[in-house]
Amino acid sequence: MRATVINYGVGNLFSISSGLKRVGFEVSVNSEPFGNEDLVVLPGVGSFSAVSGYLGSRREVFEDMRKSGVYFLGVCLGMQVMFEEGTEGGISKGLGWFKGKVDKLIQNNKERLKLPHIGWEKLVVTDLTCPLTEGLNNQYVYYVHSYVAYPDDESIVRAVSVYGISYPAIVCSGNLIGTQFHPEKSSKVGKVFLGNLYRWVKK
Amino acid sequence: MTAKRIIACLDVKNGRVVKGVNFLDLRDKGDPTELAARYEDEGADEIVFLDVTATIEGRKALLEVIKNTASVLSIPLTVGGGIRNIEDVSTILGNGADKVSINTAAVENKKLITEAALQFGSQAVVVAIDAKKVGKEYVVFTKSGTYNTGLNAVKWAKEVEALGAGEILLTSIDRDGTREGYDIVLTKAISDSVNIPVIASGGAGKEVHFLEALKVADAALAAGVFHDGIIKIHELKMYLKSQGMEMRL
Repeated sequence: MRATVINYGVGNLFSISSGLKRVGFEVSVNSEPFGNEDLVVLPGVGSFSAVSGYLGSRREVFEDMRKSGVYFLGVCLGMQVMFEEGTEGGISKGLGWFKGKVDKLIQNNKERLKLPHIGWEKLVVTDLTCPLTEGLNNQYVYYVHSYVAYPDDESIVRAVSVYGISYPAIVCSGNLIGTQFHPEKSSKVGKVFLGNLYRWVKK
Repeated sequence: MTAKRIIACLDVKNGRVVKGVNFLDLRDKGDPTELAARYEDEGADEIVFLDVTATIEGRKALLEVIKNTASVLSIPLTVGGGIRNIEDVSTILGNGADKVSINTAAVENKKLITEAALQFGSQAVVVAIDAKKVGKEYVVFTKSGTYNTGLNAVKWAKEVEALGAGEILLTSIDRDGTREGYDIVLTKAISDSVNIPVIASGGAGKEVHFLEALKVADAALAAGVFHDGIIKIHELKMYLKSQGMEMRL
């Protein structure tokens, strides 16, 4: 199984590449999908507006990729840009594959919750029949974010976590998958998720 | 509830772990990658490398270590020590670290905090504050605790938050290495005054010290007690959970 990790110029691609390799993927890093891979991974670093800027002229490439039916994993910000729009760094357009928007995790911080939200939170699996969520219920995963997705269609949500509010942790529709947490930073539980993904893509 | 974090810190010099590692099979190797992986296995929530290298060759060796570690580690890795400018930040993150910890350079060039946060996100920017009690006040020291900046620690903490820091790594110089416990008064003062996570550091000697620290901080960092095998991370986390702390086990 071949995976392409999309490099848009910032941050740590070693961890996600290594995480994918560990569960069996052959990994390449490139600025765009090659067109012959089994899985495209959009990692999560930077800001929504920065990634939106990267997507800019490449929207067609990603649209063609989606139509081809290749599996796609968006991690953190990579998941957020799968929605229609985001408010971080000014309102900017996402890929619009999922209906809904990306906005601040905490709108009105009366409880003085610390932000960014950094650390380990439990997953609450909302769809136990989804092969991607096998072995993940009540397990801790690692988050680093201040924004979350607010999907119009709740049926795409496979798992949530709670920090002030309940927010989507895993979303999935067809071959499009997104995680708000970082599987590559979530130790053994992250490996379980990536292993589930590998088997799903291979099937 | 966010789980409280236990962070293991390794001093790295010229690409090797330099002090206080008593694990028999690691003493001679001093291999930071191997030790980091072992700590992950034992349940550490994050790893911090503190680079105490002074030479260019040593910095190159560090980048190799970061790369190797990032390819085996699947918990967050922070690298601090000697970061002077945005190029240093970029190089360290580009080689596989998730966060950088900036100390002296943050005080000398505040813009660096904002610049790094804008380019890489606040979550990648930890500001390390080394504080020491001077009279009735906690004062910020830099240059490995040798230079009195005259800055009030609480004020500086608020300022780094406003400048874009995503976390504060707070070390009590008075307690560092004493194993008498974290400085709870200092940690609480900083934690109460900012709305970003605070990591307590300096003074861990017993399990109960971690419990006290985590009542006021989001994470607790230690080095020596882990290296010397005085405290085992898994046992520590079991204890903390039994005391009502939210822990990832």
